[in-house]
Amino acid sequence: MSARFVSGKVLGSLATLFFVVCFNFFLFRVVEGDPVASLFRGRNLTATQRAALTRQFGLDGSTGEQFVRYLEQTAQVNLGRSYATNQPVSKEIASKAWATIALVGISTLLSTVFGVVIGIAAAWRRRTKADYTATTFTMATYAMPDFWLGMLLLSFFAVTLGWFPVGGIEDASSNATGVAHLADQAKHLFLPCLTLTLAYLGEYALVMRSSLLDTMREDYLVLARAKGLREILVRNRHAVPNALLPVVTIIAINFGFVLSGAIAVEAIFSWPGLGLATYDALNGPDLPMLQGLFLLFSAAVIVFNLLADLLYAYLDPRVRTA
Amino acid sequence: MRGRGRILAGALACAAATVAIAVTTASGQEGAKPLTLTVGLQQDLDSANPTVGVTVAAYEFWNLQYATLTDKSSKDFSPIPGLASSWTSSPDKRTWTYKLRPGLKWSDGQPLTSEDVAYTINRARREEWLNYSQTVANITATTPDPQTVVLKSSVSDPKLPVMDVYILPKHVWSKYDKNAIGKFDGVTSVGSGPYTLDRVQKGQFWTLNANPSYWGGKPRVDRVVFRKFNNGDAMVSALRKGQLDAVENVPATAYLQLQKEKGITTLQGQQGGFDEFAMNGGAGLKKPNPALLDPRVRVAIAHAIDTKTIVNRVLRGLGTPADTISPSANPSWMPKLAPNERFDFNLNQAKQILDQAGYKDTNGDGIREMPGGGKPLRLRYAVRQESADSQPTAEFITGWLKDIGIATTEKTYSDSQLTEVIGKGDYDLFVWGWTPFVDPDPMLSYFTCGQVSSDPKNPTHYYNDANWCDKTYSAMYKQQNTELDPAKRRQIVQQMLTRFYKSATYVPLYYQGDLQAYRTDKYTGWIRQPAETGPVLFNNSSQTYANLKPVAATSSSSGGGGGSGAIIAIVIAAGVVLGGIGLVLARRRSADERE
Amino acid sequence: MSTVALPSARRIAWRRRRRSAAAAWRQYRGNRAGMVGLVVLVLFGLLALAAPLLADHAGLAAVNSTENPVWASPSEFHPLGTDHLGRSVWTQFVWGSRISLLIGLTATVLAMVIGTLVGVVSGFFGGRTGGVLMRITEWFLVIPFLPLAIALAAVLGPSVQNIILVIGITSWPATARVIRAQVLTVKERLYVDRSRALGASSGHLMGRHIMPNIAPLILANTTLTVPIAILSETTLSFLGLGDPTRPSWGKMLEEAFAAGALSEHAWWYYVPPGLGVMLVVLAFVLCGHALEEILDPRLREQRS
Repeated sequence: MSARFVSGKVLGSLATLFFVVCFNFFLFRVVEGDPVASLFRGRNLTATQRAALTRQFGLDGSTGEQFVRYLEQTAQVNLGRSYATNQPVSKEIASKAWATIALVGISTLLSTVFGVVIGIAAAWRRRTKADYTATTFTMATYAMPDFWLGMLLLSFFAVTLGWFPVGGIEDASSNATGVAHLADQAKHLFLPCLTLTLAYLGEYALVMRSSLLDTMREDYLVLARAKGLREILVRNRHAVPNALLPVVTIIAINFGFVLSGAIAVEAIFSWPGLGLATYDALNGPDLPMLQGLFLLFSAAVIVFNLLADLLYAYLDPRVRTA
Repeated sequence: MRGRGRILAGALACAAATVAIAVTTASGQEGAKPLTLTVGLQQDLDSANPTVGVTVAAYEFWNLQYATLTDKSSKDFSPIPGLASSWTSSPDKRTWTYKLRPGLKWSDGQPLTSEDVAYTINRARREEWLNYSQTVANITATTPDPQTVVLKSSVSDPKLPVMDVYILPKHVWSKYDKNAIGKFDGVTSVGSGPYTLDRVQKGQFWTLNANPSYWGGKPRVDRVVFRKFNNGDAMVSALRKGQLDAVENVPATAYLQLQKEKGITTLQGQQGGFDEFAMNGGAGLKKPNPALLDPRVRVAIAHAIDTKTIVNRVLRGLGTPADTISPSANPSWMPKLAPNERFDFNLNQAKQILDQAGYKDTNGDGIREMPGGGKPLRLRYAVRQESADSQPTAEFITGWLKDIGIATTEKTYSDSQLTEVIGKGDYDLFVWGWTPFVDPDPMLSYFTCGQVSSDPKNPTHYYNDANWCDKTYSAMYKQQNTELDPAKRRQIVQQMLTRFYKSATYVPLYYQGDLQAYRTDKYTGWIRQPAETGPVLFNNSSQTYANLKPVAATSSSSGGGGGSGAIIAIVIAAGVVLGGIGLVLARRRSADERE
Repeated sequence: MSTVALPSARRIAWRRRRRSAAAAWRQYRGNRAGMVGLVVLVLFGLLALAAPLLADHAGLAAVNSTENPVWASPSEFHPLGTDHLGRSVWTQFVWGSRISLLIGLTATVLAMVIGTLVGVVSGFFGGRTGGVLMRITEWFLVIPFLPLAIALAAVLGPSVQNIILVIGITSWPATARVIRAQVLTVKERLYVDRSRALGASSGHLMGRHIMPNIAPLILANTTLTVPIAILSETTLSFLGLGDPTRPSWGKMLEEAFAAGALSEHAWWYYVPPGLGVMLVVLAFVLCGHALEEILDPRLREQRS
């Protein structure tokens, strides 16, 4: 890969990121009413107090001045203070990020593995009952809203059967540490993770299956078969690796959407991650929080799209010369 | 022989060890553990600094850490001794002399003197501290001697001698000047209340320890832990399991289930909070739909609202239908309306009033028009996005209005947008709520003419969200603001509230309480403020904590716990031994079989 | 000697189109999955259209439900039970299907129109215009859908028109990219070159040559975009950004969750709307795949 190719892509991504930063500011300014007045409703603020609070919330000055201040602060990763908790937005986001990364990361991993395996199995056994079952199942999970699936699982396994907790990440009143603590968190992670895994795996299975069916027709495989190579080897050594390419790209791109993909599911399970933070911030709305989250989500997608592009170029030499 | 013997020896050793552990833990259980009260809530402390914070959770913390000059009776909020044991006033009632209790100390051992009191009050006045300036804006404090504080008010203030601002230790807070104090997070353990801060873990919990220097004596409960939950249902299930002793803000569905459970007391703690259906009173920057300027139309609309149904359906019965607004946490300020003064729910009466006033439906589309066949009566209804009850309430109200021939157009707003819209007068109808203080003055002030938005550049700097201006009401407000005779003042206030009610600009919907629950098996001594109807925690004076005592524990309960632990251990040990014997026998059998 | 009146060129073209449509229909009929999908869609379409016959619209208002018990399980009075305000769930389901389908279809049309325009123009013209349009498309693709939709819905305010706008604005880039790729392929074909050599204008080329060739692709893409639009509307309504005055399946799920239907074990409130979404989406996907297979026989080989 030439340096020119890479730097071109990187610069493009930076430009997009800057555009998003500006867009972010103006988008939420439009929604703004008077947060100081509404947050301090019924507190009989004196003029001095009101002025001090307006300054504290960064709402003084003209829109232009506020925009410049916004750019400066964003560059220093100062994303303002949440209206709901009065804590720095960057701190709130940092404390909640890992819960989402854990949940969605594990789900993506599991759904990729299972999706690919199911896709391969279905392609290999095409037209058999197993294929039809697998395809129907994956289409069904693809078609259902992910949070609805979460509601069903929650109501059956947690509310009715009581096998799993109804929400949260851990038992807040227990003082368990070490392994017991991890076990407790794992118990809370199970249902949301299951929901997301089922929700994502449909796409991977379907794409893997069609990609593999496509590849199996390719000429070089015909040659391999003609040479007398066993089918299993044809599949595993030649077809699958090549068929994986589009799947890999999708995975890389999906990682970018990881952070924002779980908003509704986290809300259902009260999983204290960025998704729940977004859901809560919508009630208000807690504008600095929404702004910060929006920026983070967009940045994640931009970064992972860049990585996906570079990865694809690395794996498939045909693209680099384009 | 050797292998089998080894197994048997191992089994016996395990059994012995298990019994030993069980016995030692059983006896260990009877040792003294600090008495802890664990309270669950869903709101975090926003700041421990009383000049900065605003949340309910923060107020509870300050109530516990900082004593005030006077306390408030849990029965009726009347002033009772706090840091001050007695007080006298000058004949004009503008100068009050408070005598502090002897031997007062801060929790770090430093003496608490009038110097601290005067420092707090004077600095709060000069620097216009949030949470203080409303009380001390006109008050200057002097200290003739370390045990005496003299407060002089420049105006006649009926609130005195109540002085409930948090007294801060000068030796800690003087380190922060005017600019630094706003940034100080307030995390300090130096206080004078029944408990002082031990640890704060933002977003998770904060703990307090009993303060031996508290003027009321060290509380029985040694530690108080406030645990923050993200999820109301998880919080309630922790209460059920005994991991929490009390919870605040129980979700409605869970509350209805908890009501039926033994061992848990549920209560709706009324502190004067209410929700109202507000119409645009027409005095603001923009005029509403002209129909609303006609008091007959407003009265008709008031008759079309069934507050009982809203309480039953929207609040699941967890509220009380309202008549006048409640200006105070103390319900005795509200007048009792005569039956003919009240706007009862009566759709036919509403339709009659509109018919007689000339608002008829001339074109048969179900919507009335202005008298003389003018524009149709279509009112703009602002729905609050943030409130879960706002949408269902809107469904009911717009439904009834449609029944009497008034159409509505709904628009959803965030709170900050709605504040601006109200300030500009650009609305017809909305539903919102208030939580009053203890003294009725602030709430009453919101509906004076002076609080109507008059500056188009800063429309949100005013509080009169009814956009209603009545000169008599405003004059009466000025009167009660300086009326020192409590009975006379009460009368004036009640007349004001009746007048406001009759104007049918605000239709108060319901009084809503804090839904709380606590376990009855661990502590007793929960105090409701105001008596019988108020909440036990997160109320005005938070007197419950220092008053709690453990429920008389029977010795068998703790011994029983240890005893049952030992029994279980012995059973396990027996099982292990039997298992080991069984294993030995089995091996022998298989060994025989092999031969 | 009698002259035989020859049909006009246009007539011939239409006859040919009708014949190939009939052939396509026959092909479609043979696709079992596609037929299942079509039947389901027709059923739901009928349900939505026949709403006034199936459920009284007045039953949607809480004021008219004050006599009903709350959280009642399905019975002969209320086939799908009642919700926390006593309203009939069946009524909400039937009338909600209208909004969910309406928003899904309209938003898709909007996305397709914008996407096709951008895709065709950027693919056909290339150069500076094409590059700029492609850049814009990529920018939109990069911003994650849900946060952008949330931000736009928060700014524009929740109403049916705004949700359609939001979904349309966030969905067109994917279409534009696919269309552009196809246009590039078609552009290379010989008859286009010949046509251009003969002096045809860009408009003529786009209208007469490119569009008819990509029309089937547009149709198939549309059928596959509708499910995304419906799922988006469901999610946005669930997050509270939908129109609060109209029933929709997403709004039912939102109200069910907020009112605690899970702890009330009121499955009749949250199972039907999600099931409805799932079936409709599945049906569109099956139809879309069947259409794709007709257009591209290779796919049929692949998929079966």
